[in-house]
Amino acid sequence: MELLQNLYTGFSLAVSPTNLLFAAIGVIYGTITGALPGIGSVTAVALLLPLTFTMNPTTALIMLAGIYYGVAYGGTITAVLINVPGDSSAVMTTLDGYQLALQGRAGPALSIAAIGSFIAGTISTIILMGLAPPLAKFALRFGPPEYFALAILAFSLLTAFEGRQPIKIVVSTLLGLLIATVGLDVVSGLPRFTFDSPQLLGGISFVTVIIGLFGIGEVLSSVEQEMRLDFLRAKFRLRDVFPTWQDWIASRWAILRGTIIGFLVGILPGAGATTASFLAYLSEKRLSKHPERFGRGAIEGVASPESANNAACIGAFAPLLALGIPGSATTAVLLAGFMIWGIRPGPMLFQRNADLVWALIASMYIGNLMLVLLNIFFIPAFVAVLRIPYTILMPLIVVFSTMGAFSVNNDLFDVWLMLGFGVLGYLMKKLDYPVAPMVLALVLGPFAENSLRQAFIISGGSLSIFFTRPISAVLMGLAILAYLYPLIRWAVKSVRQVTTAATDLISARR
Amino acid sequence: MWFADLVGGVIVLLLGAAVVILSRQLPYHAEYGPGPGFLPFWLGLGLIACGAVILGEVVVRRTRYRGAFFQGGTWRVGLLLASLIAVILLVPLLGLAIGLGLFTAFLMRTVGRHNWALCGLIGVLTVFGIRWIFGSWLQLPLPTGILGW
Repeated sequence: MELLQNLYTGFSLAVSPTNLLFAAIGVIYGTITGALPGIGSVTAVALLLPLTFTMNPTTALIMLAGIYYGVAYGGTITAVLINVPGDSSAVMTTLDGYQLALQGRAGPALSIAAIGSFIAGTISTIILMGLAPPLAKFALRFGPPEYFALAILAFSLLTAFEGRQPIKIVVSTLLGLLIATVGLDVVSGLPRFTFDSPQLLGGISFVTVIIGLFGIGEVLSSVEQEMRLDFLRAKFRLRDVFPTWQDWIASRWAILRGTIIGFLVGILPGAGATTASFLAYLSEKRLSKHPERFGRGAIEGVASPESANNAACIGAFAPLLALGIPGSATTAVLLAGFMIWGIRPGPMLFQRNADLVWALIASMYIGNLMLVLLNIFFIPAFVAVLRIPYTILMPLIVVFSTMGAFSVNNDLFDVWLMLGFGVLGYLMKKLDYPVAPMVLALVLGPFAENSLRQAFIISGGSLSIFFTRPISAVLMGLAILAYLYPLIRWAVKSVRQVTTAATDLISARR
Repeated sequence: MWFADLVGGVIVLLLGAAVVILSRQLPYHAEYGPGPGFLPFWLGLGLIACGAVILGEVVVRRTRYRGAFFQGGTWRVGLLLASLIAVILLVPLLGLAIGLGLFTAFLMRTVGRHNWALCGLIGVLTVFGIRWIFGSWLQLPLPTGILGW
């Protein structure tokens, strides 16, 4: 009953004309940027974050959340029509989506993706409503050791989920933590790594870093490859857009399974929409009676990953709202937003800012409804926008990034910093260093360091505090396992190879 | 790409060493628990260890080729960076809005090869867009140039 009462309060705030308008702006902007290859959800949210500094936090959060899940919808458009995922979470959609488009079924592919995303988004929001408040209640038991362990778990899970060169993920995390230490130390008041620059005394703003790494960094990477989007000619008359009855039958369980997998992956710190869509696609293929159809235009090959990536976006809000720990780079940017508006997500959020949380949750229903309608009835309009040459969009992204960085402190020093981080982001991408761990570490860094120092004060400098308190011990154990996971995977693979070689040798001798 | 990885490993190693040296100038211990130099010191050590592992990998797997560092379009990256640096340096002369408008038109012309009229139009719209969104709506004190814009 309390849940319904809270939801009612949330809806009464979310349906105000201003909030509806900004939700619409968020989802439309999210869909367009999600469809543009090279601009992911982090960049999309980071670019508009400076515009929200003076806005009402609830309205700002509704708009930014709309961008986040709008990107998941938008990424599908280019994945289906040009075989290039607009966002990394749409990678798996290209496999069957583009094949369907080649068969003249782009409309049903896009609409099943939109409807699947809508169903997944709605179910996930219901689960979020049920899960987040008890999770927040449970987190009230957390002290500094538990929070530090949770931050370490978030960093470590990136190593387990990213898959490629774990050492580079660790470097990226350490760099993020290092940048977070710049400025006056909050405990001692001593300056750290400021090099006598007064502008650095307050630390490096994460908005500047994020805009540099993602806005400028992505533009530099994209401008290097001449980007040209060649869309397939597809019919988007209303009767060509809707899925057939057979499509529905084939997709219904795929959507539900994708939703569950997506939400579960989404709530894990460090995982995210891309991992969710990957796992959902693979499990759907494994469960299918006709796995050979996958990759050749199976509609459930679109429905499942698209449902999963949207469910993961909503799921990522659970650890953010209830624990104050972002589950992905994009929610890390949202956490940065919370801090700018003077709000601290975590267990107390549901008590201190209940209106904001429930308005956000209510807006997710509204935003998802807007998105499904937009993505069924206005696909031609989005395709028309995407035909704007990248060479026009690219300088405009730089202009917006520059103005965003300038607006942080009304100082050109931040623009220089943005430029420096842009070059760093470009080089990291080029050298195959992931940027997301750096963002997560940068945002969580001060919180992790304070928790660590407080934990040491409690324990008198003993490390055992992290392993003697049950919740902290479990979180630390999981973090160690996650860090060791690449090593374990490598060892298992090596043992398998040796066993196979030995078996082959024995059978050859017989 | 092994050379790029080699350079990356060396940079990480040197950065780690610099962080360790700089963090030694900060108190490691405070009256209650760790001091401001505690975390940076361990971060520096971590970077040194990671740099060593990356360099070790470079030496062991020297043949892993993953594409060239410089590509055909790298000049566009240089051009974009150079023009943005020029804009920031010329802010006292041009102002931020006009500088960014010229930047937009310049890049559209050089990288996109769009016609002059379109470049000029988008450039002018950029100037007015910045003035309207950031100057009037968000009321940011935009740096102005000799034209007062």
